[in-house]
Amino acid sequence: MSQRGREALPQAFFVPTETHALPAGQRLCLFHPPVGLPRGRVLYLHPFAEELNTTRRVVAQQARALAAAGYAVLQIDMTGCGDSTGDFADATWTAWLEDARLAHRWLSQSASGPLWLWGMRSGALLATDLLDRLSEPANLLLWQPAVAGKQVLQQFARLHAANQWLSAGKADEESPTRRLAQGVPVDIAGYTIHPELAAGLVETRLKPPTAGLAGTLIWMEIARQVDAELSPASEREILAWQQAGWHTRAEAVVAPPFWQTVSTEDAPALIQATLAAMAASAPRPDTARLT
Amino acid sequence: MNVYEQVLRVLDSALNLQGRGATFDAATPLLGALPELDSMAVLALITELESHFGITFNDDDLHAEVFATVGSLNALVQQQLDRQAT
Repeated sequence: MSQRGREALPQAFFVPTETHALPAGQRLCLFHPPVGLPRGRVLYLHPFAEELNTTRRVVAQQARALAAAGYAVLQIDMTGCGDSTGDFADATWTAWLEDARLAHRWLSQSASGPLWLWGMRSGALLATDLLDRLSEPANLLLWQPAVAGKQVLQQFARLHAANQWLSAGKADEESPTRRLAQGVPVDIAGYTIHPELAAGLVETRLKPPTAGLAGTLIWMEIARQVDAELSPASEREILAWQQAGWHTRAEAVVAPPFWQTVSTEDAPALIQATLAAMAASAPRPDTARLT
Repeated sequence: MNVYEQVLRVLDSALNLQGRGATFDAATPLLGALPELDSMAVLALITELESHFGITFNDDDLHAEVFATVGSLNALVQQQLDRQAT
C-alpha cells in the first residue's frame, strides 16, 4: 500500500464510557483526521441493527472523502453494535444517546470548527435527538433519513414476519411489536430487541429542535432513476425545518439502496453530491439566524 | 404505465432482476420460487412498493399468500390503492 493510501486509513480505538447509567465498557470509534485546512467536525451516527453492516462500505468511503476535504470525522459503534461492548439485547435508545454524547465530547476535544451531525436512516433520528441535548448549535447531514422511529421498528418487525413466510410457517404467535409493547424482549433476524429500545424508538420522530440556533440541513434521498424528484413525504418534512428557520438543501441522488442488502455496491454520486452540498453550505451554525 | 406494469417494475428493481421481471406474468410464482426473494428482499420489496405508490400496508394484510405470485402481489397493491382513494 502506498504512503498515501495508508494515511487515508482512520484511527481505530476504544473510548471508555463515563456515566454509570449505561452498560459500562468501551465503544469502538473510528477517527478520520482532517487533511489540510480544517473545515469542521462531523459526527456520524449509524443506522439500526443489520443496516450498520450493510452501510459500512459507503459510509467509510464518504468519511474518507470528507476527511480529505478538511473535515474531522468521527464514527462510533453504539452500545451492543459492531465492536463495542455489550450485546444488542442491552441496547436502549437512552444508551445510544449517551454514546452519541460521548462521541461528541471526544470529537470536540480533538477537533474544532462547525459541527455537523451526520445520520443514516435511524441515525438521523438519533442526530436530531442529540441536537436537542447539545449546548452548541449544529448542522445536519441526513442520508435517507427515517422520519419516525415507529416506522423503523415496524419495518424491522416485518423482517421477522418475512422469515416466517419463507419457512412456510403461519404466524402463530403475537406480533413482535405487540410483545415489545408488553415489555417482552423479541428476537428478530438474529437481533434481540430490548423493550426499552422499542419504546424509545416509538417515541422519537424527526423534528426541528425547539430551542437553539437554526443551522443548515442537508437531506439526501436515494433515487433509482435519473431526474427523480424528492418524495412528497420528504418535501413535507423539509418544509417543517424551513418553517423553523433552517437553511435546507435537499436532493434526490441516484444510488443503489445499499442499506437494504449486503453487497459491495458503491454510491459515487451520493458521495460527490454530499461533498458539494457541504462545500456550498455557507451559513455556519454560529452565524445563522432564527427567523 | 398501469398499476400492474408498475408493480413489475418495482419488483424488478427491488430484487435486482435486471429486466427479467418484464417476462413475468400474473401466474409467475414468487415466494419460494424466486431465489432472490429472501427475507431482506421481501422487506425491500414492501418498502419500495410503499414508497413508489405512496401507500402504507396494514400489517394484517401482509402474509405469505400475497407474495405467492405476481398476480397476488398486484392484487395487494390494487386493494391498498383503492382503500386509500376512498
